[in-house]
Amino acid sequence: MAVVPGFVELPLFYEGFLNFLDRLLQPSTLVRIVVEGLGKAAIYFIIAVGLTLVFGLMGVLNFAHGAFAMIGAYLGGILMVVAISAGSGPIARIALFVAVAAVVMAAMTAFGALVETKLVRPIYDRTPMYQILLTFGIGLILEELARIVATFQGIQPEPTWSAAAGTIPGAFQNPIGIIQETLGVNVRAFYLFAAAGGVLVATAVWLFLTRTLYGLYIRAGSEDPEMVEALGVDVRRAFTVVFGLGTGLAALGGVFLMWDPTWGPSVLLNIDVLLYAFVVVVIGGLGSFKGTIVAALVVGLADSFTTWLFHTGIVTFPGLPEVTVFLLLVITLVVKPQGLYGVEEVGGH
Amino acid sequence: MAISPRVPRDLDRERGRPLRTDGGDSAVSEEPETDAPDGRETTTERAGDATSSSADGDHWLRQYARDHVAHGLVVAVFALYPFIYSSMAGLPRVDLMVATVDFGAFFDAFMPAMTFVIAMLFLGLFAMSFDFISGYTGYLSFGHAAFYGVGAYTIILIANGDVPVLPAETPFVVTMVLGGLLAFALALAIGLVSFRLTGVYFAMITLGVAQVIYELVRNWDYVAANPQEGPTHQGSTPEIGIPFVDSLSVSIGRLAGTEFENVLGLGIDLSATEVSYWAIGLIVLLCYFAMQRIIHSPFGRVMIAIRENEERARAIGYNVFWYKMVAFGFSGFFAGIAGALFAGFRGNASPDETFYFLHTADALIVTIVGGIGTLAGPLFGSVFFEWLEDILSSEQGGLAPFLRDLVGESIVINSVIDGRAPLYLGIVFVLFVLFVPNGLLGSVRDRIGGTVSKQLPSVLDRYRR
Repeated sequence: MAVVPGFVELPLFYEGFLNFLDRLLQPSTLVRIVVEGLGKAAIYFIIAVGLTLVFGLMGVLNFAHGAFAMIGAYLGGILMVVAISAGSGPIARIALFVAVAAVVMAAMTAFGALVETKLVRPIYDRTPMYQILLTFGIGLILEELARIVATFQGIQPEPTWSAAAGTIPGAFQNPIGIIQETLGVNVRAFYLFAAAGGVLVATAVWLFLTRTLYGLYIRAGSEDPEMVEALGVDVRRAFTVVFGLGTGLAALGGVFLMWDPTWGPSVLLNIDVLLYAFVVVVIGGLGSFKGTIVAALVVGLADSFTTWLFHTGIVTFPGLPEVTVFLLLVITLVVKPQGLYGVEEVGGH
Repeated sequence: MAISPRVPRDLDRERGRPLRTDGGDSAVSEEPETDAPDGRETTTERAGDATSSSADGDHWLRQYARDHVAHGLVVAVFALYPFIYSSMAGLPRVDLMVATVDFGAFFDAFMPAMTFVIAMLFLGLFAMSFDFISGYTGYLSFGHAAFYGVGAYTIILIANGDVPVLPAETPFVVTMVLGGLLAFALALAIGLVSFRLTGVYFAMITLGVAQVIYELVRNWDYVAANPQEGPTHQGSTPEIGIPFVDSLSVSIGRLAGTEFENVLGLGIDLSATEVSYWAIGLIVLLCYFAMQRIIHSPFGRVMIAIRENEERARAIGYNVFWYKMVAFGFSGFFAGIAGALFAGFRGNASPDETFYFLHTADALIVTIVGGIGTLAGPLFGSVFFEWLEDILSSEQGGLAPFLRDLVGESIVINSVIDGRAPLYLGIVFVLFVLFVPNGLLGSVRDRIGGTVSKQLPSVLDRYRR
């Protein structure tokens, strides 16, 4: 067989590939990728689900979503830092985290409702582009305000605010004991915690959509807003509730990001989170709840798999996870222009 | 998501159709910036215009000159700005019985400094190219920064000798056009997969492609030793002018640019920054007229038809896909030129200032502030944008140092004013979206009932008598 210079010989490549498969299919590797992927997927889902609900009902692509998540991360951080004395045990910290998450979500839901009534409501009758522009402007303003407040308090706005990230219980930063003993892999316990949180949130949102009156309005409104209005439902109030809820969910995602080892509270979350949320929402199909869950799983697992590739030195390109995530978006749109579960002709011209 | 750049206007209703259907016959006559889709012929009385009825030789030339009065005025203001700025900022302190007023410091604080005025030019060109595609065909290009980045990186990589075949001494003008052509090719490649989609999905796929390119460039050590910081221009200083003719070229750059001392014996010294400003301004002007020419050609009319009603344009028989592709290519080309000018003047290009999504967002903001679908509007939007940046940063005589001299150090100045341009810009932007959706130029046009250059001569005539 002629050897083409510059190319790996076929047998060599084949051997390398087998070697790679062998490493990938070790149970320890698989467990690591799956647990980490589930944790990441859960956080991506919590962030993206609000975006998809808002779009599904109102047709508004909310570009302030990332800023809401960033504010959630900062608020959660402030409350945690204030509430925790250094000696709190892990159980107390987790309990506090849940309480803080609830408080932040409630506060931001109210804030989101306020933004919707005062700013977004006047421009529903215009083309979708103006809603994109308006929410993007709101996001920029919030980012700068966060920067001012953080600088004023002597906190570095970039990279990350370590004090808030430091409120994580030690047990979460450590590898999961059982898995480490049996398989010898290091998976942070935080990812399991995040995955549990994601399942809870998904269940709660699903129950809200299917078992409550407002959930009914939202599902019906996504199908045919004019008809819902004709039947006497106050759609404007439904819009406010959904926008508020979306904001609250974004902030909740931000509170989870506060403990995430790769993110942490910083003003950079605004754009970074926004872009990731868009990837998840668009891959899943705009306005589709089921699609968002599937897309979050795809993106989360792809993220953890590429992270593993980079960490083990199989691929030496540091930007691999990000490139993969955005490539997934592009490929999905090329193959399925409406996303995985998207409705034909939603969000088009 | 059909984007119509203007809220429906009474003009359209009065015409009963939003589109001129003469297939762009009027593009034969040189008509400056009219983008109004209705293309309404102005019915203003041309009193005092004796040549309009006579058919003497310079008739069309005078008409042409009349049509370009507005352009001439804008270009003149831009061309004379360095002199105005240096004379205003050089004013002495004046003792007015009551207090001393330092006029020079005051103007220095409130007038944009030269580096910011140059930034207006590349940002303006970039935003115009963004408007060219987004404002005229209605397809939001959220990945526009990729073309800017390609233009910027191309000239630096060629100048550093990192590109095979092309020598590092290739003239800047040539590499600039090459960067533009590369951006053109990239736009066609992106358009090939993107133009099957519309609305939000089109915006998202362009954003996705641009982010992929951004992440690749940011981590690729071929482009620079530290790719996160971006490459630095290490070749000879870029020159704008006729390639290989030294007497007809000037170098650009803050430090290494050409300086002229005692021009024509008038005792005027021109600094490197001012020379670069005129050289870059000339390129931007050429690009603007090229884009305007395309908009007013039959091709541009079809672009507007696509924006207004794509299905109808297709039904009439235009192959809209190729029209969109070529329009996107042109748009990418001019964005690439803007990036090349930026990198040539600055001498470096970081991925965060070229390829990143926020850079597209800047173009989007100035396009909205200036008026989407007006082509010239984004330039005025970027004037506003950079002016605000200048006032609120202490890089070159902004508001903060001025106030510090006035009232002393204070926490308020440091936290609320110094370097806080994005905050106020965001607020202004939101107010514009809510209350002035047509932007600066769009609102002016709505008010005077046509494009500025169409209406200005008759206004001037009124004052002449």
